[in-house]
Amino acid sequence: MSTAEKRPITIALAGNANVGKSVIFNYFTGLHQHIGNWPGKTVEKAEGTLHFKGHAVDVIDLPGIYSLSAFSIEERVSREYIAIQKPDIVINIVDASVLERNLFFTIQLLELETPMIMALNQMDVAKGKGITINIPQLQKSLGIPIIPTIATGGTGLDKLLGKAVKIAKGKKANPAKMRYGREIEEKISKVTKLVEKIPIKYPPRWVAIKLLEGDEEIRKIVGRIDQKIVSSAERYARDLERIHGELCSTIITSERYNVANKIARGSQRITPPRGPSLTERLDAVTTHPVMGYPILIGIMFLVLFTVFTVGGYLSGFFEDVMGPIRGAFGGEIGELIGEGVFGGLIAGIAIVLPFILPFYLILTLLEGSGYLPRAAFMTDNLMHRMGIHGKAFIPFILGYGCNVPACLGCRIMETERERTIAAFVVTLVPCAAVTVVVLGLVGAFVGIHWALALYLLNLVIIFILGRVAFKVLPGESMGLIMEMPPYRKPHVRSVLKETWMRVKDFVYIAFPLIIIGSVVLTGLKVGGLLEPIGNTLSPVTVGWLGLPAITGVLLVFGVLRKELTLVMLATLMATTNFATVLTPIQMIVFAIVVMYYIPCIATIAALVRELGWKKAAYITVFEIAFALLIGGIAFRLLTA
Amino acid sequence: MITERTEEYLEAIYYLYERGEAATTTSVAKELKVAPASATQMLKKLAKQGYLKYVPYRGVTLTPKGEKIGKKVLRKHRVMEKFLSNLGLPKSRVHKDACELEHHIPDDLERVIHQRFEGERLLPPGAPSNVVPLTSLLDGQKGIVSFIGGGRGASQRLTDLGLTPRTEIKVVKSALFRGPLMVSVRGTTLAIGRGIAATVFVRVK
Repeated sequence: MSTAEKRPITIALAGNANVGKSVIFNYFTGLHQHIGNWPGKTVEKAEGTLHFKGHAVDVIDLPGIYSLSAFSIEERVSREYIAIQKPDIVINIVDASVLERNLFFTIQLLELETPMIMALNQMDVAKGKGITINIPQLQKSLGIPIIPTIATGGTGLDKLLGKAVKIAKGKKANPAKMRYGREIEEKISKVTKLVEKIPIKYPPRWVAIKLLEGDEEIRKIVGRIDQKIVSSAERYARDLERIHGELCSTIITSERYNVANKIARGSQRITPPRGPSLTERLDAVTTHPVMGYPILIGIMFLVLFTVFTVGGYLSGFFEDVMGPIRGAFGGEIGELIGEGVFGGLIAGIAIVLPFILPFYLILTLLEGSGYLPRAAFMTDNLMHRMGIHGKAFIPFILGYGCNVPACLGCRIMETERERTIAAFVVTLVPCAAVTVVVLGLVGAFVGIHWALALYLLNLVIIFILGRVAFKVLPGESMGLIMEMPPYRKPHVRSVLKETWMRVKDFVYIAFPLIIIGSVVLTGLKVGGLLEPIGNTLSPVTVGWLGLPAITGVLLVFGVLRKELTLVMLATLMATTNFATVLTPIQMIVFAIVVMYYIPCIATIAALVRELGWKKAAYITVFEIAFALLIGGIAFRLLTA
Repeated sequence: MITERTEEYLEAIYYLYERGEAATTTSVAKELKVAPASATQMLKKLAKQGYLKYVPYRGVTLTPKGEKIGKKVLRKHRVMEKFLSNLGLPKSRVHKDACELEHHIPDDLERVIHQRFEGERLLPPGAPSNVVPLTSLLDGQKGIVSFIGGGRGASQRLTDLGLTPRTEIKVVKSALFRGPLMVSVRGTTLAIGRGIAATVFVRVK
């Protein structure tokens, strides 16, 4: 049999966040990666392929999680994948410097009875913390092979892969069965016996444990087959709760931690180094109640400054190089191709990409260094006031530059509800293109204090709408619970690869949309439909907002790029002295509408990427309605 | 003799305190689900009796005497909630009945029930209960996790991250403006928002 006919071996990488999982994933798969979403979910799925000694290997990078309960989508996706898709082997990546907490997750993976090996990663960090681990001892306690690794240096990774492939082929691994307290085991085995009788894809013992824990999803699955099993598990859980005086889920979690603690203590020796660690010394400054804030502001300024100088430079460069292509085609069809297809492509390359690229690079760097959690820690309270928490601070600030990376940055929020609120809030932040309109129109012709007032009004609106979204949207809001990983030097190769993968991913999603949008708009122009559109929209633009009819066309084009509204106003009116075509009140109303009326097409693409079509559509429709409402109100108030 | 109504008010104000919210006539009235007008009247009365200081349109602050009662009633409420939910009562009843019982249960009985659920030996009678929310620890202070009273999702996440009962936890520092807490537990450092941290109860050594 040739290798081509063989089914590829599947390896799943599982572990906590911040353990070096993505570094190992990148090492294994290089650029042969595909980042997408899990089917029907907005959880990122990273998949890659490689060839190892004649075997085709698929590597799946599962999300970084701390547990396998059903409370977050990431956790549900991971356990479903391991239990139902059954990868040939799971590599559990463990941070050797925080052994106990990592073993808690390992124990849950063992409950799933999957073939598994462990990469004991960050051995160097552990050594720095004075931790030595007795690997044979640990191996004996867990019953799985353990390979010590230092992923950032590439140490041990080839050995890890070799071992994984060997076991995956042979299917020979007998993980130790984790045993909990006597009275708990009694109940587990009673429920297991019941579960064994019904057809279910998950391991019976694991289902029994989950039923005792009161896991909603498993209760539903089992309940559909035999409701009696669910109720007897519930009864046993009550019994345990009576003995321990705690919720059954807490009892079992404690029990797992007890086992993890025992194994960790039995296999590691800690001689703490003298003096504070680098992280402690850095934390003393970066989260200092007084010094921390200037540092935060400084770093944010640096981020914005870098993204926009680099972005601005690249943008100008691409525009110069590629701009002429646009006019290179003659005739109506030529215009459609030149302006529509190439215009859209150029807009993507010259306007969006230059800002996305440095942004992703810096975001990945900040993520890798460990500063992001500190920033979230410092700003949590402020962000709470707009219905989101500290983690949304970075996307929020970035929104002032460009909404696109800001929306994509919202993926660091944990629950879907929080991600939705954050992305919504971010699309209300006036980006650089909006700033061009506000300053170029209101700032220049009405007065700078009016422009500032619009920004203040914007902040107030963000606070109010954020709170409303917080109240209205269903689901549990977790609030801030996050790990503060130690500071570390970002791993350059991983940062570059991750940046590249993210940019590629964005291009695939956004560029088709931008180009289609551009073609449609050019088509309207070529087809002479602009005036009819302006007239059709005039009840809204003229009647409700008190603007000239031409603004309808501008607003339609603004969907592509918001600064186009101003550029086209100049073209269509053949003047840059806007005072001759618009009254001050019209300018203010127009600027307000531009500020809110719709996220630009690239932002909509980013919303689709992060939240799915439905929510992106809701946000878009809401913002159009909201902009018209507030524009109309402003018009009436100002003319009154 | 302190009336039930007095206790209710002091408890509500203390509860607002604990969460870091300002105690105003409006917020107290909302907490107790009464009309602002009747809250105003009652607050004035309580001020006269020396339980709190009341400034019209500004809000109230508890006097040491009022704070002591508010704290005690709230603690009793929590202990009774835990007691009742352990008996297997549905959540809707747990809160309602705890509201009732908190005014009637004698101090020493409350302590016995509390310790029953702590799984510990009895403290000498009259010793103060030393279980407090995590938010009331000072920077650098340590405690032992006693129980987590918040929503299911948050408490599951916290226990998953290692805050199981009887685990030692240390508050490293807390952010300015009533921001989140940085804590260290099981060799890791976590940031926990203040609202959630207030639902984590610890026993101070």
